[in-house]
Amino acid sequence: MILEGRGLACAYGPTRALDGVSFAAGDGVLAVFGPNGAGKSTLLRVLAGERRPDAGEVLLDGVALSADRFAWRARIGVAGHRSGLYAKLTVAQNLLFFASLHGRTTPGEVRAALAAVEAERLADRQAGALSRGERQLTTLARALMRDPELLLLDEPFTGLDASSSSVLETALRDRGRRGRIVVLVTHDIARGAALADRVVVLRRGRKALDLPEDEVNPGRIVAAMGGREGQRDEAGHADQADQADQAGHAGRAGQADEAGQADHADHAGHADQADQADQAGEFDQAGELRQADKAGQAGELGQARTPEAARP
Amino acid sequence: MTVLRCAWHVAAKDLRTELRAPGRMLAMLAFTALAAFLFGMTLDRARVEPAAVAGPFLWLVMLFSATAGASRAFDAEDEDGAFRHLLLAPAPRSALFLGKTGANAILVAAAAAAAFVAFVVFLGVPGQGRPAAHAGVLLPGAIGLAAAGTFFGRMAGHSSLGDALLPVLLFPLLAPVVFFGATATGRLLSDRPWPEVAGLVRLLWACALAALAAGGLLFRHVVDD
Repeated sequence: MILEGRGLACAYGPTRALDGVSFAAGDGVLAVFGPNGAGKSTLLRVLAGERRPDAGEVLLDGVALSADRFAWRARIGVAGHRSGLYAKLTVAQNLLFFASLHGRTTPGEVRAALAAVEAERLADRQAGALSRGERQLTTLARALMRDPELLLLDEPFTGLDASSSSVLETALRDRGRRGRIVVLVTHDIARGAALADRVVVLRRGRKALDLPEDEVNPGRIVAAMGGREGQRDEAGHADQADQADQAGHAGRAGQADEAGQADHADHAGHADQADQADQAGEFDQAGELRQADKAGQAGELGQARTPEAARP
Repeated sequence: MTVLRCAWHVAAKDLRTELRAPGRMLAMLAFTALAAFLFGMTLDRARVEPAAVAGPFLWLVMLFSATAGASRAFDAEDEDGAFRHLLLAPAPRSALFLGKTGANAILVAAAAAAAFVAFVVFLGVPGQGRPAAHAGVLLPGAIGLAAAGTFFGRMAGHSSLGDALLPVLLFPLLAPVVFFGATATGRLLSDRPWPEVAGLVRLLWACALAALAAGGLLFRHVVDD
């Protein structure tokens, strides 16, 4: 199975959210990274068929989304920032309702979907009474129901504890092995890179980096998010971040990954500095360069964005 | 999946949600009962025959009640982004519209029935004798009010004016429904024979079906990108 995006472009007024983005991904997890305002959520909306691109096309196994949007929606599962649950209904009633819009569904299938994320205990709980993590699990169970060919996830690990995160990671890997495609948008570089079979980094609506599994490197991802990987490509030689990684002097993100400490850092909620800058909203929606970005380019953002600081 | 089956699932979900937290239904019923009580209290029966004004009063109360219900018809969807997932399901937009309208119509019909009983009680109009005939008038009216209310309720909810826009859009379009319904109800309360009402009921059904068809066809333009 192959998911392709060809020359995708989307604009909101004068703001270009996507500007000629092309990619191709096979079975497994495609991790999409980028600073806030890079176009990640717009890309997911386009892939889900919610937003018609101004230009370009999305294809799954050669079948264009635009050919039959109704059929496309039957092939996808989506989990986003908001749970999309009816607060007054129980978890089981919520899942049964949404599944019923896809066709006949039994309560047994609902229980199986909850079991897939080890959340059977939530079946009879009212959705409005769930914690953030429990809502997230329910949302993921809904997305996984009916075994969609294409699963679109926006920050799926948000609110999940270590145990639930581990269950989800296993479920995502399993989907890849069974010939399904997962598009994972996340700010969690270490976890996303560890799961990914392919990585795409967006920056200001454009593709800044596209790596196959064997070339996935958190240091390069961070560098591309900061806008320096593109400089390297244009210049035709490795930039300092890449050189640092190759020389074994990776910044904090790369070190954590290689030392197997990334999970620990993430579970403790310690996003890397570049991510913190993004989460603080220091990139506006128009993709204009603001203070953090300027600082990053000037090498003032710290280890994650400027691995040269880790050099001896 | 057929449109009707999908619409049934949406309507059943809406009614189940309403039964769990009947805020909208209670607000509609309370409004109709209070309006009938106030009309009954303030009407000068020495100068005005209640049966002569009960029809228009009843339909105005239905119109306001339906508008209030329509403005909250999508509250559950908007609370935590459920509407997005409705749209992501492989369900025809017309089915979503029909399902939402079906649930709304049941609520409006219940409010209309409550209003009718309240008018009989508080205004002393002679409505007890022909309940089936009155139901035959109120039912297509409730469907028409619900269909237009659902369509414009969604549209108004996404405008910068919000719910304030709903009556502005809704009332002019529903004027024929209120006129036909009030006239038919008035004739029934005046004990006129059914053939004098049947033509108005046909017009009410025509309005209801036109609202359903137009809403079903156009709803995707309201909800899709």
